[in-house]
Amino acid sequence: MANTNFVSPASSGPATQSGAAQNSHLRKIRDLIYQVAGILQPDHKLQFLEDRCGRRMQHLSISSLRAYYDCLTISSIRDDEIKELLNEITIGETCFFRNAPQLEALRRVVLPAILKNKSHLAFRHLRLWSAGCSTGEEAYTLAILLLEEREGALKNVNTEIVATDLNLRSLEAAQAGVYGDYALRNVNPLMRLKYFTSAGERLAVKSEVKALVKFSRLNLMDDARMTFMKGMDTIFCCNVMIYFDGVVRRRIVQHFYNNLVPNSYLFVGHAESLYGVNNDFHLVHFPGATAYFKPEKRAGGAA
Amino acid sequence: MNRAIMERIETKLEEIGSLPTIPTLLVPLLQHLCEPAEEVSIEQVVTIISRDPSLAAQCLRMINSPLFGMRYPIDTVRGAVMGLGVNRVRQIAMACSLLKAFAGKGVVPARALWAHSLAVAMVAQKFCHQAGYAAPEQAYSAGLLHDLGIMVAMAACPAEFETAALAASREHRALYLCEREHNGFDHCEIGGMLAQKWSLPATYYNVLRHHHEVEQATEHRCLAAIVSLSDILCRLRNLGYGFEEIGFIDLATEPAWAFAAAELPQMRDFDLARFTLELDAFITEVEQSVTTLFELV
Repeated sequence: MANTNFVSPASSGPATQSGAAQNSHLRKIRDLIYQVAGILQPDHKLQFLEDRCGRRMQHLSISSLRAYYDCLTISSIRDDEIKELLNEITIGETCFFRNAPQLEALRRVVLPAILKNKSHLAFRHLRLWSAGCSTGEEAYTLAILLLEEREGALKNVNTEIVATDLNLRSLEAAQAGVYGDYALRNVNPLMRLKYFTSAGERLAVKSEVKALVKFSRLNLMDDARMTFMKGMDTIFCCNVMIYFDGVVRRRIVQHFYNNLVPNSYLFVGHAESLYGVNNDFHLVHFPGATAYFKPEKRAGGAA
Repeated sequence: MNRAIMERIETKLEEIGSLPTIPTLLVPLLQHLCEPAEEVSIEQVVTIISRDPSLAAQCLRMINSPLFGMRYPIDTVRGAVMGLGVNRVRQIAMACSLLKAFAGKGVVPARALWAHSLAVAMVAQKFCHQAGYAAPEQAYSAGLLHDLGIMVAMAACPAEFETAALAASREHRALYLCEREHNGFDHCEIGGMLAQKWSLPATYYNVLRHHHEVEQATEHRCLAAIVSLSDILCRLRNLGYGFEEIGFIDLATEPAWAFAAAELPQMRDFDLARFTLELDAFITEVEQSVTTLFELV
């Protein structure tokens, strides 16, 4: 609470009062964002939320969180403003190896389990989907992760990463596969050496990484095309569904469910929740990460 | 459990039981402190704590530590109890008496075990609020105590326990399963023996004895279930015993979930995703609290 923010008046006594009021509006904004977009800033992240609201408030020349809350709820621009705030909250989240516990869960628990389920097959095929891949960081991260396992767990397994996005410009950037320091901040020197080549000031992903990923344009709201994304072993869809309303989100998640093979997983953004969106998936816990699990359909349907 | 092991544990329990703090301090405190915070008589807690000079001193040192940022020094036990609040007093009392009773180096560091116990206590209490269980304070105490069996195991049969704990840490598996595999018994059985020996209330006996297999509990199942679920969540949110377990858990298919859901109607609308995200706030709090406690003890 004791922040060095210029928003709050710099005095001792009354500041605590207004601090408490600020916090209550902040909590209301937090709950609103959770309700609308399914993305949660828990109590220990309220400072972060306040900071992001602050950026929008500065832009709109609004001085109090109370007024900003009104802007998000009753003003005519509320729908757009919520999207702007969501952008601020998720900005900078796109980078290589963004969510380490999630990737560890994939490598150490999910992949071995999927491969075990396929052990009876003569030809083993593994298909991952990066849905809403933006400029490709997540898809290439998955590709690198799979390449790291190619002599181990993934020996003799045919692997493929499907990466889709609605935005053609993002897809072009993704296909180019050239990244700056910010996107690469979690990539260690060894990985840089193994999977990237220099492209001037920036780094380009090597062709062996690119070869694993198939980029294509897809609107997640396009029911007809969504129906054809079959046979997925794991889907990553991080901070994408937050921009859709409840009805559309429900439909998209149902498509994901149908497109996954049984005993497989949907990963969403680290602060994202599908509470109330779907009852077929089970929320499961890995060390430090969660995912949505599609169980095997049991006879009687009591899954 | 074979007879030789059982005798060793019995002997150890006798030894521990003869320590002055346990019967005079812990048991009465437990009885007072498992009541809802607003019904706990501060005077009685003050009286019990004043009986043990070292505990009284710890409470005073805790309240005057930077963690609480008091503007002026607190110099009475009463002031300390009021300032610390019931939960902190409970933590200090249990930590002081138990860590004293089970002093010594074990394969699971006392600090990690204590951090885990505290985390389970906090999560269990939060769980109660969200799921509508009427006695969150009781759940808090139960969480603090649930792994007492581990402390006894490390004191009474260190070699056996170490084998199991090392296997668990090496194979990234649940400790109690490795204990059973290697030793034929686990810390729940030992915890149950301890609860009986100390005549802890039946609620605690069930938690200590059955928190890994709630279906075996014949009574107070709901509390055991809440502690069990909290324990799982903590082990998967970096609030475990100090070693990593790998795997995944579908809480909805845990028997404990079904038992809790059967008794608590609010569980139907339980937002597990949000609950899980909110738990991360505890990580820092647990760490700070444990650091302060260990500087004191």
